Amino acid sequence: MRALVYSLLVLFLVISLFPTFLMFSTSFVPEGDLFNRTIEKTVSDFEAPRTVLLTRVRPIGKAFELVKDEKNSFARLDSSKGVIGLAFSMGSSDINRLSHLVFKVRASSALKMNFFFKDIRESVEKFAEIVIDPTSEWKTMRVNVEPKKLTLDVLHISQLRITIEGDGTLEIDDVILVNRYPTLYNFVKVLREDYFGRYLLNSTVVSVCSVFGNLFFCSLVAYAFARKQFRMKELLFSIVLSTMMIPPQVTIIPTFILMRKLNLINTYWALILPNLVTPFGIFLMRQYFEQLPLELDQAARIDGAGDFRIFWNVLLPLSKPALSVLGINTFVLTWNDVFYPLILTTSREMRTVQIGLALYQKLNVFTWPTLMAASTIAGLPIIIVFLIFEKRIISGILEGAIKS
Amino acid sequence: MPPVPWGENVRKREKITTLVFILPWLVSFCIFVLYPIVFSIYVSMTDYSGLTWNMKFVGFSNYVRAFNDRVFLRALSNTFLFVLITVPATTVISLFLAVLLTSGIKFKRLFQAGYFLPSVISMVVISMIWLYIYSAMGPLNMLLRSLGIDVPARSWLASEKTALGSIMVMDVWSAVGYYTVLFVAGLQSLPLQLYEAARIDGATKWQIFKRITLPLLKPTILFVVSINSIRSFQIFTEIFTLTGGGPANSTQTIVHYLYDVSFRKFEMGYGSAIAYVLFFIVLAITLLQRKILKGEQL
Repeated sequence: MRALVYSLLVLFLVISLFPTFLMFSTSFVPEGDLFNRTIEKTVSDFEAPRTVLLTRVRPIGKAFELVKDEKNSFARLDSSKGVIGLAFSMGSSDINRLSHLVFKVRASSALKMNFFFKDIRESVEKFAEIVIDPTSEWKTMRVNVEPKKLTLDVLHISQLRITIEGDGTLEIDDVILVNRYPTLYNFVKVLREDYFGRYLLNSTVVSVCSVFGNLFFCSLVAYAFARKQFRMKELLFSIVLSTMMIPPQVTIIPTFILMRKLNLINTYWALILPNLVTPFGIFLMRQYFEQLPLELDQAARIDGAGDFRIFWNVLLPLSKPALSVLGINTFVLTWNDVFYPLILTTSREMRTVQIGLALYQKLNVFTWPTLMAASTIAGLPIIIVFLIFEKRIISGILEGAIKS
Repeated sequence: MPPVPWGENVRKREKITTLVFILPWLVSFCIFVLYPIVFSIYVSMTDYSGLTWNMKFVGFSNYVRAFNDRVFLRALSNTFLFVLITVPATTVISLFLAVLLTSGIKFKRLFQAGYFLPSVISMVVISMIWLYIYSAMGPLNMLLRSLGIDVPARSWLASEKTALGSIMVMDVWSAVGYYTVLFVAGLQSLPLQLYEAARIDGATKWQIFKRITLPLLKPTILFVVSINSIRSFQIFTEIFTLTGGGPANSTQTIVHYLYDVSFRKFEMGYGSAIAYVLFFIVLAITLLQRKILKGEQL
């Protein structure tokens, strides 16, 4: 029985965490997806008929010789016949994910090989050179690629060029480009090509302002509800509570019209102002203030403190647990909000990271690794906040539930 | 120390201080709740487009139009279907998990935190992950194929038959942890004496659950069902990011249609009428829940 309970719990834990794990691990894949990773890309194995091959591999100098033995065909470069090298067409490739180049080689005498990339602006740059010792056996060679060191347009590389120096013949086969795995390049790519850096900044500004606004204003209002006597207090408080139930979609159109009249569309104000004083915050802080002893206020009042002094110097410092619950919950809700930011921003520069992510997927040609990297960027801050403040987040939810 | 002045002046000052303290809420309430709610009623009775400032009063014709609009009726039935399936599913699964978690196991907090994690992740991020899971060559199809089940190489979200169901599964997955936490708290607040008494009387676990736990937990269950229904009636983000209401309106929902009408087709008068229909649905659920709760307590 125990064993069954534990296995069920673990099964549900796996189901619950697997998709998030999938997001993280896919974001480090260079190309393809997590289960079909493209780590190695064959540039040429020289197996195609010569005419087909020539569309992908061009000679540098005189034409190379295509040799076939029983199962394999490969290229032979003979410097005495004026064959200097090979140029492999790469279309217009992004080589930032590359780690190294692998190929099989055998040489009749010691030869130097040079490696170049050419970009679509026709600039050529050498990225490596090696000396091949004479062998009669096929030897697998590896040449490192460091895209960061190149001055070329590494996002659009059109050719890989291999040339030989020295006298003799060199045979080459199975030229393969190998990607870095795991790679951080997907993150770099979405941060650079889309505005994810800016989106993160926007989300941070809006969330932080909403958090501090809520901490201050909700406590202020809660103080009045907890400590002051005034007419219609209970009625007003029940209005506060009932506004929690109003779907935000009901108020969005007039809010949008108002923001447009005030010329606040595409400003931080439009995103911060509507969420500056939330009913949940007022409710939470009132609950907390009410259970602080009234003697505290009275003692301060005898010392000549006014309401604001009592609020600021006596009650607030004692309310750190409630304030942190409110702060963290406001942060999570604001960071994850979609509906308001979607409607109250129209320019790319003002998108929050959630809207940025949703529209990145809608408006771009994406690959799974880059989309998952973008999702990680949008999701990771909250996951970190959750891992640190798990207890506070859960107690915030329970506080909110008590209102029923 | 100055003499303590009592009378009109002090009362006035007291009033002003109180007003200053509740002013932030009062201002925010008037601008962002009261004005929109009242103004929405008016907008919903005009032909306001949202592009120009022209508004012509058209009476209730937007409401009449909504209930003759095939797409809106489809959105309405999809949303009800969504709520009727996901809310019971989420409630049953999360109650089950909560019962397991409170059965005196080790690592309770760890499991609970693990289940809870999906509910702090934003719906956009969750949608992106499931877009990948459901894709034609994605993990789900790979798993099914490796089990020998022949599935067409097509995204689960691209077919009219499977799109809404796929989104429901995703929604249940993302919401279960949140309600599990609520149920755990509810279960822990139940009186232990009753359980001991039942055990002494020789009741089986299932009997205890059915006769003691369920009836005592009724308020929590009711609360979970009602907040989950209210949330589910507002489903938007996953529709917006995953399907845009398609294919062929098979995943169109009230709020997504409201967005479509107001901010894509720019018929904000009509959009406001749809918003009000949603408002009344949510209001009805809230009132129903209150009524049932009050009946319980009597």
